[in-house]
Amino acid sequence: MPDRNELLERGIEMLREPVVMDDAVDARVMRAVAGLPTPARPGPLSRAGTWLLQPHAIRVRPAVALAAAAAVVLAAVGLRERGAPERSVQPLASAASESAPVRFMLVAPSATMVSLVGDFNDWEAGATPMEGTVTDGLWTVTVPLAPGRYRYAFLVDGASWVPDPAAPRALEDDFGRPNSVVTIGGT
Amino acid sequence: MRLHLLCAGMLFVAVTLAAGPATAQEPRLAGRLSPGARATVDAVLDSARRDGLPLEPLVDRALEGATKGAGDDRIVAAVRRLAADLTAARDAFGPGVADAEIAAGASALRAGARGEDLTRLRTLRPGQSVTVAAAVLTDLVALGVPPDTATAAVLSLAELADDATYLAFRRNVERDVALGATPVAALTYRLFTEGRALQSSDEAATPGAGPNRPRKP
Repeated sequence: MPDRNELLERGIEMLREPVVMDDAVDARVMRAVAGLPTPARPGPLSRAGTWLLQPHAIRVRPAVALAAAAAVVLAAVGLRERGAPERSVQPLASAASESAPVRFMLVAPSATMVSLVGDFNDWEAGATPMEGTVTDGLWTVTVPLAPGRYRYAFLVDGASWVPDPAAPRALEDDFGRPNSVVTIGGT
Repeated sequence: MRLHLLCAGMLFVAVTLAAGPATAQEPRLAGRLSPGARATVDAVLDSARRDGLPLEPLVDRALEGATKGAGDDRIVAAVRRLAADLTAARDAFGPGVADAEIAAGASALRAGARGEDLTRLRTLRPGQSVTVAAAVLTDLVALGVPPDTATAAVLSLAELADDATYLAFRRNVERDVALGATPVAALTYRLFTEGRALQSSDEAATPGAGPNRPRKP
């Protein structure tokens, strides 16, 4: 029985013998390689992602860096300002179909101009001018109002606030000039 | 190194400004209030928006103050006070109440009604708006009826009266007062006649119903 060294020597001798290769092996190998799937070439996004994930040394002039940072700050402030809604408040009752025409009247013979001002027109002094007749001094205007409770007053000649003598007085008088109230029912 | 810290600081400021709680600006206040008053009112509006309160009455109050030439402090105080009233009304009415109801409830509270009165009013009118009822309560107080009496009258009609009945009731009381009756006397008389009419029409609508039958909602 051969010992371990003899077996080892035999193995080495076998490995040293030249291998006779088939002449067509190169062609077969090349065909097999050509049949393998080709890895896809990374696209621009993939290359950019790889570039961003790897460390790089970036040299920037201090003035350019400061300008870029300032631009980011200004952009953030600008976005914040523009993020405000156009009109952040919705009217209490905005359905036009529910609105009913309401006629307001005031007798003011000596007035030259009368406006209706209230919750329904953003308290704009000139938004709802009233039409007057010279003979009897009756000033009127009709406004569509949805169901709800509205506070209002008449502005006479652009200076004098007059509550409606034919309507209930509003108890909330935060500014020292009393208002009237009109309540429109829905049922 | 210092440049890096400076840039990082500026970026932090930018991110904080962009992501921080921005105050929404109500465009109708622009040009009507001073910048300081507008910023304060916008903050009150933001808080009210988060609390689910109606914003329109708050904006209207600020615009009213501006049009009437009130000072900034007075405008801000009025808006804040109204926000507190709206909160109290909303809490009294409970969930699911409409904006117009909250606004009318706030006026009723200002007139002297109590929170539990508003709660009772809504309980007595399930599925119906309480806007007009609360507004009539306020109007009666404005006519000179004591708040407790006005509240009791409105609550006594709450189960049967619709909006038109409430408005007619208030109009009749107002007419009687204009003709010389005291507010309480006018209210008592109109409550008696109106209540009797409502009761009889309700019984006619449900023939055979006894006095102890359940009342309609």
